[in-house]
Amino acid sequence: MNAKTVIIGLDGVPYAMIKDFAASGVMPNTARLIDGGFFSPMRSSMPEISNVAWSSMITGKNPAEHGIFGFMELHPNSYRMRFPNYNDLKAPPFWETCQGKSVIINVPSTYPVRGANGVLISGFVSIDLNKSVYPPSLIPTLKEFDYRLDVDAQKAHKSMDLFLEDVEQTLQARIRAARHLWNYCDWQTFMLVFTGTDRLLHFLYDAYEDPNHPHHAAFVDHFRTIDGVVGEIAARLGESDRLIMHSDHGFERLDYDVFVNHLLAEKGYLHFKTGQDAIIENICFGTKAFALDPARIYLNYKGRYPCGTVEAAEAEAVLRDLESLFAALEIEGRKVIRSIHRKQDVYSGPYMDDAPDLLLIADHGFNLKGKAASDRLYSKGIFTGKHTYDTAFLLAANCDTSRLPAPPAVSDITRLFT
Amino acid sequence: MNRTLTHLDKLEDQSIFIIREAYSQFRDVAMLWSIGKDSTCLLWLMRKAFFGNLPFPVLHIDTSYKFKEIYQFRDMYAKEWNLNLIVARNEDALAGGLGPDKGKFRCCNELKTIALKQAIAKQKFKALYLGIRRDEHGIRAKERVFSPRDEDFEWDYKNQPPELWDQYKTKAAEEEHLRIHPLLGWREIDVWEYVKRENIPVTSLYFASKGRRFRSIGCESCCGPVDSEADTIDRIIDELRTTKVSERSGRAQDKESDYMMQKLRSLGYM
Ligand SMILES: [Zn+2]
Repeated sequence: MNAKTVIIGLDGVPYAMIKDFAASGVMPNTARLIDGGFFSPMRSSMPEISNVAWSSMITGKNPAEHGIFGFMELHPNSYRMRFPNYNDLKAPPFWETCQGKSVIINVPSTYPVRGANGVLISGFVSIDLNKSVYPPSLIPTLKEFDYRLDVDAQKAHKSMDLFLEDVEQTLQARIRAARHLWNYCDWQTFMLVFTGTDRLLHFLYDAYEDPNHPHHAAFVDHFRTIDGVVGEIAARLGESDRLIMHSDHGFERLDYDVFVNHLLAEKGYLHFKTGQDAIIENICFGTKAFALDPARIYLNYKGRYPCGTVEAAEAEAVLRDLESLFAALEIEGRKVIRSIHRKQDVYSGPYMDDAPDLLLIADHGFNLKGKAASDRLYSKGIFTGKHTYDTAFLLAANCDTSRLPAPPAVSDITRLFT
Repeated sequence: MNRTLTHLDKLEDQSIFIIREAYSQFRDVAMLWSIGKDSTCLLWLMRKAFFGNLPFPVLHIDTSYKFKEIYQFRDMYAKEWNLNLIVARNEDALAGGLGPDKGKFRCCNELKTIALKQAIAKQKFKALYLGIRRDEHGIRAKERVFSPRDEDFEWDYKNQPPELWDQYKTKAAEEEHLRIHPLLGWREIDVWEYVKRENIPVTSLYFASKGRRFRSIGCESCCGPVDSEADTIDRIIDELRTTKVSERSGRAQDKESDYMMQKLRSLGYM
């Protein structure tokens, strides 16, 4: 009998938080795994957002190989947005290439569902349960469990109490479904992703940091519950079975959202059609560069876009100008952008043409946004936490970690079990 | 074929209804004509709505930088259709040297916005008809059939009428000008199918020559051509059909995208 592999994903959870909760007794089961296993900070994908990071994790590839660069893309030869999904993933996820059956629950960027050798329940951004479950015969059972595809984050904009209630109910339903599938399915690989963590971190990072925050207890309890599941799973594993826990990106406190397109427009790199809203769809000739969320910078190449302006021969000069612009950006005396990357330095593969020309990594506290139509360079909204690139975590028990680079990246995880 | 006709008939009916309904509420109106296919299609509908005689002016914002085909087309059909054509230019800026040769397209942009503001102030227009389409804006479209703007052309979010897309009934506050978008529900392909059915003239810039054609001109006259072999209306429709199939496979898909966008936005990703 081959060793089984169990993967528990904790969307957005930073290394330091796991370390903190393990030490303080909130996550005792996780602490035991850390003691006997490999525990390290981990790099996310570029950009450090869930659908890119999870696509990288499940394929073991970089975006220029799997084709997912962000939550939104533009239609060819146009400025119209579209939302890439599972059908756009150009490399197979590990469960389609490895031997044996698998149960895969709530991995982001796997909607709409497609057939698998085993069970697959799609994660964020899933819309319709009927298109999220394989095999479909499981749908009635999941409905009985009150299974929810995702927390309704809009609730957080209205009432934090309602939001927390939804977070808790979604977590409990996810656990019920996971227990059922664990017991009643035959599997070699079992993967369960918790995404409520990321939602909590977006809205209540301040509650984590401040023990007097009214929602501090709810925040901590969420992690305590998850640790309970970790304990349940660890207790049921055989001696040679692998257990992997990891996040897809990290989190830290958010000071300011910074709107990259606002900067580009202000400095004359980005122009919108007269009298129309300052949104990507309304880009006009004269535009040299624009950003798609979070900080993917695209040159507005002639021939590639309807209002393309940049000639191939001037691209290098534009890139250099942009690099100095971004490198010099300061807000309240603090440097905003920690590092600037050209696409050929971070990506390689057949989908290079679709890659952004520049990628920006923000410095502490700054959250780079590709949203257009912002009337200011920076602001503070409802969110208190922001994603980070280099502070995700990887915890591996019973795995051969000798093939991991130091520090590992999210696209290296499949090396542990395939 | 029948289905297409019914679809176009429905769009035509809706647009004509909006055009007449708006005119019954505002008399100080004008229509913005960029000479592009959308606003020419709108002009066609206007002429239908008012039985060949437009009871208000047609406004063309002239940046002094436009293709010669555009001027020829404008003058020819203004005459043929007996239009009350107002050509608005930012003469001060032009005299001050802000020309297409100098600041190029950046100032072309300036010339349009300010020229439009000046024209509205001078003529005291209360409302403007525009030929914008929802699908130009992608699914993000927050434009409504009627959308109030204040004097600085800023969106007046608080005063947004609560109606949904296809209900149109609103009056602008005293100091605003209202924008009316009778073509909002039309897609690019609808416009081309209508152009074909009604035999509406369009400028030659839309048709491919040497492997390139303009997908939009006029108001966006500063935009460059795209790669295309479509040199007839039928070929343009074919081209749009084949690209559209993957872009938008029916209404259900659009609705899902709306939900996705909502979810992404609630987490700050938009
Ligand atoms: Zn997140």
